[in-house]
Amino acid sequence: MQGLLDFAEGPLFRLTFFIMVLGFARVFILAIWGAVDAYRKAGDKTIAWGTATRKTIGWLVPIRSVFTHKPFYSMFSILLHIGLILVPILLLAHVRLWETALGFGWLTLPKTWADLLTLATIVAGVAIIIGRIASSNLRFLSRKQDYLWPLLLIIPFVTGYICSNTAVTPATYQILMLMHVLSSELIFVLIPFTKIAHCVIMPLSQFIMLIAWRFPAHVDDDVCTTLNKKGMQI
Amino acid sequence: MRTEVITPEEHERAFAPTKKPEVTERQKLSVRYHVEDYDIADRPRRFLEAFAAILKHSNYRFALEHFIRMTTRCSKCAVECPIYQATDDPHDIPCHRSELLLNVYRRHFTLAGSLKGRLFGTGHLTNDKIEEMADSFWNCTACRRCTIECPAGIDHALITHLGRYILSEIGISPRALVVSVREQLEGTTGNTSAIPLPALIDTLEFLEEDMKEEKGIDIKFPLDVEGCDYMFIPAVSDFLIEAETLMGIAAVMKATGASWTIGTQYFDAINYGLFYNDRMLERIIRKLVAEAERLKAKNILIGECGHASRSAKYFVPTHCGGKNAIPALNIMEYTYEMLRKGKLKLNPNTITETVTYHDPCNIARQGWVVNQPRELIKAFCTNFVEMTPNREKGICCGGGGGTVSIDEIRTYRTTVGGKAKADQIRATGAKYVIAPCANCKKQIRELLEDQKIDCEMIGLHDLIYKAIIFDESNKSIDTENQKG
Ligand code: SF4
Ligand code: SF4
Repeated sequence: MQGLLDFAEGPLFRLTFFIMVLGFARVFILAIWGAVDAYRKAGDKTIAWGTATRKTIGWLVPIRSVFTHKPFYSMFSILLHIGLILVPILLLAHVRLWETALGFGWLTLPKTWADLLTLATIVAGVAIIIGRIASSNLRFLSRKQDYLWPLLLIIPFVTGYICSNTAVTPATYQILMLMHVLSSELIFVLIPFTKIAHCVIMPLSQFIMLIAWRFPAHVDDDVCTTLNKKGMQI
Repeated sequence: MRTEVITPEEHERAFAPTKKPEVTERQKLSVRYHVEDYDIADRPRRFLEAFAAILKHSNYRFALEHFIRMTTRCSKCAVECPIYQATDDPHDIPCHRSELLLNVYRRHFTLAGSLKGRLFGTGHLTNDKIEEMADSFWNCTACRRCTIECPAGIDHALITHLGRYILSEIGISPRALVVSVREQLEGTTGNTSAIPLPALIDTLEFLEEDMKEEKGIDIKFPLDVEGCDYMFIPAVSDFLIEAETLMGIAAVMKATGASWTIGTQYFDAINYGLFYNDRMLERIIRKLVAEAERLKAKNILIGECGHASRSAKYFVPTHCGGKNAIPALNIMEYTYEMLRKGKLKLNPNTITETVTYHDPCNIARQGWVVNQPRELIKAFCTNFVEMTPNREKGICCGGGGGTVSIDEIRTYRTTVGGKAKADQIRATGAKYVIAPCANCKKQIRELLEDQKIDCEMIGLHDLIYKAIIFDESNKSIDTENQKG
């Protein structure tokens, strides 16, 4: 068991993390590349960069949305996002791991705060799933992955919390820890290839929306030629 | 402001079939708008071919890639969509509407999607899916309200736009729009209302006489004057039904001593291409610019029309010269500028009844023309009330995206599409609702009638015509072109 755990925390962790970073780089570069290419082809290159930046910042700090529609859903969603970002990066035990892997660490969250945030994340995740099931609109729109993702995302939080806060037997601890590490690694591997990739490309959304409305100068001729519609009546 | 869900009876009326059963059967298409007969064989294959051709020569692909990665299905957009609010049908949730097309894209144009689809033999495009898109994309008014609340930044109006474009390439688009565009680009009159030039000249002379009688001075519609500052071009239907708007604009031009003209070779700013086909959009833009170039005009001045202004402002640079393109502006920008500079005098007490203002989506959503009309209104009206929400967040009249021109869906437009707008207007208790857009004007007029709201729809320049003051300083201004 210990050997398995060592493997999961060591080489497997490095591999999956590497896959995630590469995957992120891929989606990010593809998105930028697509946008640059579209911009290059656009007949009109005036883009309201300022407006797009303002809207992007608005969505990165989406406080406003809590006060408009779906206040609870928005609140839990924001909470879930904060937890998902902060806990893996700032938890003391994690920073130790980073230190051994990278050779340097950074500031950590005080234990009580970290625990509270972990609990809040779990609650938010569960609330989101319940919200999805309870609302007829959301049920209608949801795919399987939309229910499974929050579930998968809170597994490392639940297992991590139990391991660091309750007295369990060493054997149980090892099993939980293994679940903790493996589920996190599964998340790493899946993130860049699923909707969770939005965590890296989301800041590009507003720009992409604007550029997408900038069409190339000569669509008529080109599309006509490809579709064999040259000279055809309307 | 939320609007209430329509009653089952209203629902039935709004969605009642508008076509003879045999037509639906022959065209294998159950949608509420009329479509010209088209080749029904092999629809899915031809749809995919058109889709591929469009992707190849356009900028849509990267946006679709982004959208399929981003879509989180949070349903926040539902709250913003006036259509969904009125029908309460999950099929009208913007995210679902867009998914219809994104699904086709994912399955047929991405590697993972086509592998998965082939492996399981599922998900491919079918006739039913095409029919659902043909229906859904014309329920949406392309008002872009849903983009306000989508955290993922998905632009459903762009997807509606693309979906309609692909459909039109296989022959599925509202007959009303296709027939108009055909006349505009290939017909003898060269405009969507099929007005012959002599009739236009007659109309303008008639209006000039009217103005002479009412205002006591010569106000002209200068035709074909070369080298002017502004080539004025309204939605052509204004010449038929919005005479007051045109007289108001002519009066403003006179009072401010503008150098302006109307071209006789092409006098229709309508661009239905924006609503259903990018190729038509481009052709119409090129025609517009050709006329401006013929007249050596320095600016293209679009009349009270939202979609015409948006197409000119954003697509003249796209198709005709980028940053060197002839600038296009909306008449309200011009009139406001003149007011600000003190060149235009309006009687502040012209209208004492309550007046409200409708923001046409195509000029307001991006915050382009929102303050100018308000400042103008306040200059001649003592009792202005806002609808809520307004400006960038304004609610569509319900006839956006070209749907207003589809007469057979009037009941849908005035019970579903315009439901939220009707409630908004009613809530203001206003005597006049100002709608500075040819499309919105038609829709709101029908809306007030069908919803039995005691309010009058009017154009902005119609009221400015009443408020404008000609005194010694501007009465005698005669610009070169007005002599000519
Ligand atoms: S708001 Fe955006 S992500 Fe959410 S359901 Fe609507 S389109 Fe999808
Ligand atoms: S563009 Fe307007 S009508 Fe269409 S889905 Fe969005 S909010 Fe609804």
